[in-house]
Amino acid sequence: MTTGLWTTAVGSYPKPDYLLQARNKATRKEITTAELNKLERQATEMWMHFQDEIGMDLPVDGEMYRGDMAAYFGENMEGFTTSGLVRSYGNRYYRKPIAKGAVGRRGPITVEWWRYAQSLTSRPVKGMLTGPYTIADWSFDEHYPTREAFIMDLARAIHDEAVDLEKAGAKFIQIDEPAVSVRPEEMEIAVKAMAVVTKGLKAHTLTHMCYGNFDLVYPGILRLAVDQIDLEMANSNYDLLAYFKKVPFTKYIGLGVVDVHTHRLETVEEVKRGIKLTMEVIPPERIFVDPDCGLKTRQVDEAKAKLKVIAQAVREVKKEMGISDSPLPGKLPEAARR
Amino acid sequence: MITTVVGNYPKIPPSGQGVPSLRASIQLLDQGKLTPAQIRVVQEQNTVDVINEQVQAGIDLVTDGQVRWDDAITYLAGAIEGFTLTGLVRWFDSNTYYRQPVCQGKLAWKGPITARDYTFAAGHSPKPVKAVLTGPYTLAKLSVDAHYKDLRAFTLALAGVLNQEAKALEKAGAKLIQFDEPAIVRNKGDIGLFKEAMSALTAGLTARTALYTYYGDIQGIAPDFLKLPFNVFGLDFVGGAANWNVLRDFPKDRELAAGILDARNTRMETVDDVAQAVKRLSKLVPPSRLAVNPSCGLEFLPRVSARRKLDRLVEGVKKVQEVLA
Repeated sequence: MTTGLWTTAVGSYPKPDYLLQARNKATRKEITTAELNKLERQATEMWMHFQDEIGMDLPVDGEMYRGDMAAYFGENMEGFTTSGLVRSYGNRYYRKPIAKGAVGRRGPITVEWWRYAQSLTSRPVKGMLTGPYTIADWSFDEHYPTREAFIMDLARAIHDEAVDLEKAGAKFIQIDEPAVSVRPEEMEIAVKAMAVVTKGLKAHTLTHMCYGNFDLVYPGILRLAVDQIDLEMANSNYDLLAYFKKVPFTKYIGLGVVDVHTHRLETVEEVKRGIKLTMEVIPPERIFVDPDCGLKTRQVDEAKAKLKVIAQAVREVKKEMGISDSPLPGKLPEAARR
Repeated sequence: MITTVVGNYPKIPPSGQGVPSLRASIQLLDQGKLTPAQIRVVQEQNTVDVINEQVQAGIDLVTDGQVRWDDAITYLAGAIEGFTLTGLVRWFDSNTYYRQPVCQGKLAWKGPITARDYTFAAGHSPKPVKAVLTGPYTLAKLSVDAHYKDLRAFTLALAGVLNQEAKALEKAGAKLIQFDEPAIVRNKGDIGLFKEAMSALTAGLTARTALYTYYGDIQGIAPDFLKLPFNVFGLDFVGGAANWNVLRDFPKDRELAAGILDARNTRMETVDDVAQAVKRLSKLVPPSRLAVNPSCGLEFLPRVSARRKLDRLVEGVKKVQEVLA
């Protein structure tokens, strides 16, 4: 019997208004860290329940307690300070980490949040990490002689974090590397760093990439030592499938089927079309279905509506194609992981 | 030898500095609590602040900091007929984004886009101001062309539009107009159509012109590139160390603007680093035809770091000039 087509999400969800306000107040020291933490947990609980309600196979904690995905790790590691505001786009600004000395972990960074999220659901929760290449690329570096030295120190730190997540019980660990796709000349470093991060892990490992020039990085990214690569497919109208027809995609794919940068709600039909189109190239037992990217820039209601459309579309495709519900898969065979 | 900047400058001063916050004002505009006219006043106040900061640092040739620009693309493309702005796309290999323009019809210049900005800046700066535009090739490469369906035709159409914009800048009094073309160093195979576009871009201009590249080097296309019809060539020696190799053949009738401080990292160059680079440059291009600046626009940096980089640049140049004197 055919199996596969599991539903998941990429990482971040929008923070409810009360949490956004609380984060601002915490910045201005108008509320305590403990008060903020209580609201972060409340919002996490809301998302965990929502994901259960829609039957998501592999939920995430939604990152209610994180700001920027690279800066969060910088803030919680040794060797970093935080910069003044720099622009992301338009009127959006954020603070970048600055490596001032050798960087490394002070202790577990994400494990406690993972445990909390996992305590709220019977489904496995993904551990969510930002990859060494991306943390380095999105930080200022005032310490290291070379980018590679910086990246490899981070790789060792993120590996330790992944090991701790695994010890805590995580069966799926995602190591996001959105920065890898823009600098093909450094693919070797990214590959080397990811090999360090995932070395010896028994969990199913995956990485998410976005905003890249695919011409330059495919099939090179298949050499990243992970079981799954998560890609935004919807906002490029599934044109990546043409690449997979030329050079087969050898890993599990995280298939982004809704655009996270638009208010427009996709129809169930168009998401189904995208999934079926992909199934012509990659078998369903290798496909996870999710949004293109983290949903944090949408409104809470928009994000929920998009996730519901995905759940509905996957249910219908499975029914139409005779795909039964199946347990989540483990690791790829060793050969396909490299 | 003069000091200058490449273009944009960080918009958010450290808190407590005395101009109204551009960021907060734009948020209020989005909420309908401020009018576009009120935003313009805030933009002007911030422009003056950014100009003053460059002048205080001792920069000889300043820009308006592109305070009004959302990014290098949308400020121009959003005002050109035929373009629609769409989703966010990563700006080169950075963690910053621009709204990608899609060309859905014949491109046309609707009227001056930046001329008023130039006039304002020139009227509020004790130092000469240069006008800065993104070049037609970079605009074309970073847009989607759903109309011309041909990179050459698309780029030449943009060159025509920007030629009109440059003429409007001349009319507003701009003595030096700079065109930024970072995309060419990543697509050297397009040098043929690039040459054509640069001729169309500069046709009939009487102001002095500069062509800036960054994030890479011109090695391999240098003979063609350095013959292009511009008075100044801006090259990045941080993102494109191979540019050192092309200087032996730098044409005697052109000026070099050399990017020698890393505008993408907060690590501070020492005054000696700057002085060394300046000395090395002056052996290859005489100081009378030499300008130095950061490697690209300073907006990747927090404001405090941008200012310190400018201070270092000026101190480094001074140190060399004292020795030479």
